[in-house]
Amino acid sequence: MSEAPAVLSVEGYDLSYGRFAALRDIRLAVPRGQVLGLVGESGSGKTSLAYAIMRHLPHSAVEGGGAIRLSGQDLRAMTAQQMRHIRGSRLGMVFQDPSASLNPTLRLGEHVIEVLRRHKRLTRPEARDRTEAMLRRVGLREPAAMMRRYPHEASGGEKQRVVIAAAFAAEPECLLLDEPTTALDVITARQILELFTELQAETGVAALYISHDLALVSRIAQRVAVIHRGRVVENDPAAQVFSNPREEYTRRLVAAVPRPDLRLVRDAPAEAAPVLAVQGMTVRYGRQGLLQRLAGRAAPLPAGAREVSLELRPGEILGVVGESGSGKSTIAKALVGLNGFEGALRHEGRSIAGPAAMDRDYRRAVQIVFQHPDASLNPRQSIGQILSRPLALYGTPDGLSRRDAVAALLEEVQLPADFAQRYPHQLSGGQKQRVAIARAFAARPKVVICDEITSSLDVSIQAQIVQLLLQLRERFGTGYLFITHDLNLVRQIAHRIAVMYRGDLVELADTAALGGPQSHAYTRALLDAVPTPVG
Amino acid sequence: MSASYLLRRLLTILLTVLIVSMLVFGITQVLPADAAVMLLGENATPEQLVAVRARLGLDLPVWQQYLGWIGHVLRGDFGTSLETGLPVGEVMFTALGRSLLLALLSLLLMLVVAIPLGVVAALRRGRASDLGIGLASYVGVSMPEFVTATLVLITLGNPAFGLLPSTGYVPLTEDFRGGLARLVLPVLTVSVILVAHVVRMVRSEMVDVLGTDYVRAARMKGLSRPRILFRHALRNALLPTITVVALDIGYLLGGIIVVEEIFAFPGIGRALIVAIQQRDLPSIQAGALIMAATYALANLLADLAYAALDKRIRYA
Amino acid sequence: MPDTLRHLLRTPQGLIGGGIILMALLAAIGGPAIAPFDPEAFHVRARFSGPGATYWLGTDQFGRDILSRILAGARSTLFLAVAATALGTVAGAVLGTLSAFIGGWVDEALMRIVDAVMAIPNLLFTLLIVTVLGASGVNALIALGIAFTPGMARITRSVALAVRQQDFVNAAVARGETGSFIVLREMLPNVVGPIIVEATIRVAFAVMGLATLSFLGLGAQPPSSEWGLMVAEARPYLFRNAWMMLFPGLAIALVAVAFNLFGDGLRDALNPRA
Repeated sequence: MSEAPAVLSVEGYDLSYGRFAALRDIRLAVPRGQVLGLVGESGSGKTSLAYAIMRHLPHSAVEGGGAIRLSGQDLRAMTAQQMRHIRGSRLGMVFQDPSASLNPTLRLGEHVIEVLRRHKRLTRPEARDRTEAMLRRVGLREPAAMMRRYPHEASGGEKQRVVIAAAFAAEPECLLLDEPTTALDVITARQILELFTELQAETGVAALYISHDLALVSRIAQRVAVIHRGRVVENDPAAQVFSNPREEYTRRLVAAVPRPDLRLVRDAPAEAAPVLAVQGMTVRYGRQGLLQRLAGRAAPLPAGAREVSLELRPGEILGVVGESGSGKSTIAKALVGLNGFEGALRHEGRSIAGPAAMDRDYRRAVQIVFQHPDASLNPRQSIGQILSRPLALYGTPDGLSRRDAVAALLEEVQLPADFAQRYPHQLSGGQKQRVAIARAFAARPKVVICDEITSSLDVSIQAQIVQLLLQLRERFGTGYLFITHDLNLVRQIAHRIAVMYRGDLVELADTAALGGPQSHAYTRALLDAVPTPVG
Repeated sequence: MSASYLLRRLLTILLTVLIVSMLVFGITQVLPADAAVMLLGENATPEQLVAVRARLGLDLPVWQQYLGWIGHVLRGDFGTSLETGLPVGEVMFTALGRSLLLALLSLLLMLVVAIPLGVVAALRRGRASDLGIGLASYVGVSMPEFVTATLVLITLGNPAFGLLPSTGYVPLTEDFRGGLARLVLPVLTVSVILVAHVVRMVRSEMVDVLGTDYVRAARMKGLSRPRILFRHALRNALLPTITVVALDIGYLLGGIIVVEEIFAFPGIGRALIVAIQQRDLPSIQAGALIMAATYALANLLADLAYAALDKRIRYA
Repeated sequence: MPDTLRHLLRTPQGLIGGGIILMALLAAIGGPAIAPFDPEAFHVRARFSGPGATYWLGTDQFGRDILSRILAGARSTLFLAVAATALGTVAGAVLGTLSAFIGGWVDEALMRIVDAVMAIPNLLFTLLIVTVLGASGVNALIALGIAFTPGMARITRSVALAVRQQDFVNAAVARGETGSFIVLREMLPNVVGPIIVEATIRVAFAVMGLATLSFLGLGAQPPSSEWGLMVAEARPYLFRNAWMMLFPGLAIALVAVAFNLFGDGLRDALNPRA
């Protein structure tokens, strides 16, 4: 850290909330023109650090020793009034979700204009002209028209471009970016990242890039700091963090990052008849209104998924990828009878005409695990009650009492037997998802539909859940329809991958062949956009 | 917002008012009152009663009576009072006008008081001023209008102090100061519950908005405090409040009934109470229908205001 | 449930509200027993006295002890308010649940009617019903119960629909559970909480509404010491002895505040994720 004088430096900084030490002896430095990646899981303290630097801490925060310096000036010594002039002008911040961080009742242009008016003391016409130029610079094609729009009238990518324009508007020395691409779909995220890299090089701003995504950070940052339980456990050049991590924690973190080149599943599914086959499935939304029906001008309802055909062999892992709204979950819901559908569905050769035709055999064979365990576990039932239900419906294994069967299920998902007495809110996110998996496996299913089941979890928990799924598959020969937006993850475990785009299945290929010359253009764009780990 | 949306909303209101008209008519049918007896007095002969019933159409089936009534209502004829013989529609609309004056002044006072208090409570969350405002609003929503009214009467309206006239009504066009002075106490009374309710609403909305990402983003842009408070926070906090105010108009109209009675204010509420006491069916029907229609219209206005202010909402 | 109670007493609203309600309940149960005087007894020489050593809260135009009357009136006031709320809640919950589950045109029609009834100001609606039924405490209870029904139906329906969207209900459907299991075991426990909260707050409105009806002469009848009636009877002597209306008025406000506080505390305590 001796090369260039640091624009932002944190020196031995401590922060606690009551008795909980949120940050301990933090040391970081970001020189001009450099990007420092700050990687940590939820609760690691990365966001606390960001707000400590911005000098925006809750009343319950107690700061210990240490200094936070911007170009040598100690920010901790600044008054609130002084900080209001530093924030947004010398020290900027970009947030995760542009839909939340833009005021819904303010036009997009206003979000940039207000910064220029405040910090550059421009008149309104001057600020307007400058804003138009800024928006053009961040790649918005019709900046004047965009300025007049409200946030809900722009796409996620457009909104984040506006946020970035506002952050760069006052030509800050230093920028904090808090997961700026996490809320965006893969391809947009990539474009935003490229835009940021360009602007960063152009302006020479020093940036602290906060993210949970080690692979992404290692791509854009020169150095990466890993934060764990309030401590910076690693602070090294990006490539080294990946290829040669120093600390045990970093090693585990790196190992948990999905890498498509490291296959976790080696066997191929048997060449048997498919357990589940879908032919030309279309799922429509909504229902005809009374008025339209009376008027006899019933327009066809919008389709969430169109003419999808796929089959799943016993023990096969079929990945389904696509951005939000692509129809992945729509198909999943149709398969378990939550959506009506048109087209053919066959289960072990038997035709299933619709939700009403899904009998106990079918429902036992095809189980689903939802994305948010918070929503999928009834908050007023104990874990024991939750796991007893499928046993009551589909039968308890021979010779076991209901209670023992519940204990056995908990053991299968590596949870202690006494969890049966607990309630969902007493469990962590990962534990809850294990309960949801146990509930699905209580039926001894042939297929489990996993609908984004790891996307609300930290990467190390995600790795454990995936490990668990693979063990259960080994033991019971279960096939998975694995729905995700994480291409790296799905390429590690899926035999074949289906790519969906705006309701259409655009490609279905062996995992190894995905992205090859025959691949659909969208698939290739998707693969190009995914950051794969360095090294 | 499209013309077709507006049309649909107006149709909905029409439907609502239609159902209300059936309800009100139904209720007045089972009221223990006989219009013929009321017109002729207790000493009428049976033959006279039969004749009057036939003239009024009271011997027809109920649904025919309803159709006859609603048909006249649609033509603007609400019938004549059994008690005074005056045209009911005219009487009720005149009374409604006075009530609306009372209601609007109360709403105005409510806005002027409630919004700043709610904002202060939200900004000083957890401190003494917040707790004080919170406690006062709890008490405010828990006092029935007649209790508030009597409290106001024995303090501000107490003849011993001679501060304000306690009852009555003088048209503003006749005696502006006197009329206004007589409006003070009723308006104050009606406002109490509204203020208490809306303060809590503004506070909780404001607390929510102050915790949003976009307000935090505005702070992290280093914007000035007034700008954050007024442009970013308050504007968004007030939007949901409009809906609540619209729903409060129901309370307002209900509360006005009692307040008008206590302060001898000749509005539609007092007219209704008198009509109910006298079993004056045409007046009850007209008054209830007019009140319900007013309420439905007020709700529509609030929806339109909301749509005009919140750019996210587009009614198709 | 003991868990909920503990949570409830830990919120300041729950604690204060619960305390006042408990005191009111004690008065309702043992009111006449703990009252210093017979609430009906005339003390001719002590008419219109203010608060003092003998008559703590003063006396009315017949020299009846106000404190004793308030204590005696707690029973009718509380009982009628809770019963009216229970009536409206049960009727509304049944209607709202039916509406949510049957859906389609039945739902549409029911909600239209609910909208229409709610367009009649609550007090006016109650007045009309009481006029039909005749003025009495029990009829006021029934009228208020009926007037509460549409609002409760609307709330129940929206809570039920929101719960219906939850993934644990989807999971039950996907598992092939029967409709009655889904309604009774998965949904009902999650619907009941918000309804109880709403009902508790409604008790405050019921206390106020009943008192208002009595005040207008359409609820409890003399010589009852229902609080609203006490205020009404004190009205002619408003400027002569303000205490006569002040204390019963405060009693009404206090009990209404208590139920408002208690309901808000309950809302926090019933949140399973708290």
